Amino acid sequence: MSLDATPATTGVFAGLKVADFTWAAAGPIATKQLADNGATVVKVESFKHPDSIRLGGPFIDDKPGINRSGFFADFHSSKLGMSVDMSHPDALEIIRPLIEWADVVAESFRPGVMKKWGLDFDNLRRINPRIVMLSSSLYGADGPWARHPGYGAQGQALAGIHGMTGWPDRPPAMPKGAYSDSVSPRYALSALVAALIHRERTGEGQHVELSQVEATAQLLAPEILAYQVTGEEMTRQGDAKAGSVLHGVFPCEGEERWIAIDCVNEAQRDALSGVLGSPASDNDTVAALTAPWDAFELMAACRAAGVPAGVANKASDLLDDDVLNAHGHFWPLDHPEMGRLNYNGPAYRFEKTPSELRSAAPCLGEHTEAVMTGILGFGEDDIARFRDKGLLQ
Amino acid sequence: MTGALYGIRVLEISALAGSVAGRVLADLGAEVVKLEPEAGEPARRAPPLIPTAEGEESAAWLAYNHGKRSVTLAPGDDADFAALCRTADIVVTDWERLDLDEMDRLAAIARQANPALVWTEILPFGRGGPYERYPATDTVLQALGGHLYLNGDVDRPPVRISLPVGLVQGGAEAASAALMAYWHALKTGEGQRVDVSVQACIVWTLLNSTMAWQILGLNEMRGGAIRKERANRFYTRLVWETKDGYIFFGPVGGGGGSARIKSYDALVAWMAEDGITDPILTAHDWNGDGQFFIPQEDYDAVTAVIVEFIRTKTTDELMARAVDQRILLAPISSVAGVFDNPQFRARGYFRPLHDDTRGLDVELPARWANLSATPLKAPAPAPRAGADTAAILDRAAERRTA
Repeated sequence: MSLDATPATTGVFAGLKVADFTWAAAGPIATKQLADNGATVVKVESFKHPDSIRLGGPFIDDKPGINRSGFFADFHSSKLGMSVDMSHPDALEIIRPLIEWADVVAESFRPGVMKKWGLDFDNLRRINPRIVMLSSSLYGADGPWARHPGYGAQGQALAGIHGMTGWPDRPPAMPKGAYSDSVSPRYALSALVAALIHRERTGEGQHVELSQVEATAQLLAPEILAYQVTGEEMTRQGDAKAGSVLHGVFPCEGEERWIAIDCVNEAQRDALSGVLGSPASDNDTVAALTAPWDAFELMAACRAAGVPAGVANKASDLLDDDVLNAHGHFWPLDHPEMGRLNYNGPAYRFEKTPSELRSAAPCLGEHTEAVMTGILGFGEDDIARFRDKGLLQ
Repeated sequence: MTGALYGIRVLEISALAGSVAGRVLADLGAEVVKLEPEAGEPARRAPPLIPTAEGEESAAWLAYNHGKRSVTLAPGDDADFAALCRTADIVVTDWERLDLDEMDRLAAIARQANPALVWTEILPFGRGGPYERYPATDTVLQALGGHLYLNGDVDRPPVRISLPVGLVQGGAEAASAALMAYWHALKTGEGQRVDVSVQACIVWTLLNSTMAWQILGLNEMRGGAIRKERANRFYTRLVWETKDGYIFFGPVGGGGGSARIKSYDALVAWMAEDGITDPILTAHDWNGDGQFFIPQEDYDAVTAVIVEFIRTKTTDELMARAVDQRILLAPISSVAGVFDNPQFRARGYFRPLHDDTRGLDVELPARWANLSATPLKAPAPAPRAGADTAAILDRAAERRTA
């Protein structure tokens, strides 16, 4: 049996080997960057406790199912999937060779889970002295909340992002998503690649440990500094923004159609007045003037006049967005149960070593046998023995 | 111990986004040299301003530029710029500091001087075609990336997150992308240009929205405190008023997972201790397989009961019980809440910055990762403009003649 995913020959991480135990969003988004840039990433799931976001929607045909979540799919392009009973006392018979093979072990469990499996950093280093381990958890590996369960929506609340969203005269409006899941992977990846660079130069592996909430709170560093100096706390500002002469989100024609306009100097405000045919004196006046416009036509007119303006794109607009499509941001990939879907590609582009989303997300255990034989060197008889023991499905 | 990027030299020509990229690289141990005009870069004076012994300075500039070095170059001093590029590994820049024509001109000089150089650009939409020159600000990009549409209360226009999240995310993304390209340069000697699209960085904060549209034909809607979580068809309350503030909490209908079920069971047990045993609390398997098919009025009914309970508790009481009983809630922290967070404090997240020149004695959220062999660098004062001009230009000249 061969590996279904195409081994990469290009991409900055071609040849890099990753044993990926991450789950949910923050961890998989980080290892996706390795996979989409050529690394061989083997995602290990426990079939008794598969990745939790396989259980989160949207599901294909609106029917929940282990291989039907688009939420899961988007973060797992270019990865191989194997499933093992990680709670089985003999799980290391399979996992140990995987650790010997790997350059990187990544995980995002609640602290303590890897240790329970005998896969904490000290043990990994005994198996593979050059290993680089990434541990990303919501609250971090130590401290009083370390083992408190949680996910990104709690993370963005604790990191201060939630409180910074909404109107000052109202309760904080929850920002969409889970900001710690999308911010922290960028920090995790920087630290991980720095550790790989260090290993390349010195031969020394190490453990990179990160709290998703702490990484996300980097966004508030200026406000935290200002608070200590002035004693005043910045909070959510609705449609106000310091430094802009006119700033707001204004209605356009159609249902829930809005445009954000942000004039940072008087020349831009004058240009906006020219576009609207009447002085853009304040937000109420501008709202009355934008209301009859088609949002996209107004954006084009503002761009032509040098006024910073952007339609409040809906998800449907993003799939049709000229700029994103000119980049090839979305990658159509075929999945055996989900069919063809457009996956999000990276927000960065390399001039000489382009990223490539090589395959759709793996079904649970899709590549178990291929990894066992093709990477770990087991034979069919080993696989049968592991199956008898209940280690494999 | 030295940092992971010890000896790696970064040139930074930045406003906010580029300085965040430089911040990450400096924390990881790189030497980051800011290139500034004689009067200092404009970002030194960007709001919000705070008083220091040197006069009013930008809080964002100080937070993202401590521990870096500064060289001032006269306009058109291309010879010194080329000399600096010959001894550099990575350049980071952004569109709020350099217009595209100047960026292209400098990139040509830099890359000719050093073919192994990683030239990293943060742009609103990335490189290419007419769009690379469209005017944009952080707010505009929060809108175009699809996130702004989903934030705010239904009876008012959508709102941005009141922080320059696109610029900061773009900076963090650029740091990781620059390091990936540097990894390639280290192995092959080949440098390259890397461009980052802030719009695409914002798209990445949506998590599942583009899939929800493709699969279900569903455009999610902002909802403030009450919304459809995880592409659900029904509304659930997610922001709850406590005795003294707000918490985030999704007790029912938030998706699968045994942690959600245990969390809800722990809540119901706590409510029972207070004598609250309304039958609606146990009328459905609120977090089980059937959650997607429970009628909206039942979600509203169970929410009404939980609202009354949470109002009787302080935020600290709720979090203490949550940690003890594994209830999946969290305080919605203000800036002071982040600064005083006991978990951050226990982990040594904040580290002191003593800046005698500016009279600053503060703590910064500096330890955002723990690298066992190469710890992040501790904060050091931000440079005055040109503080290192002579030393660094001399070093570059020596390399040139050597």
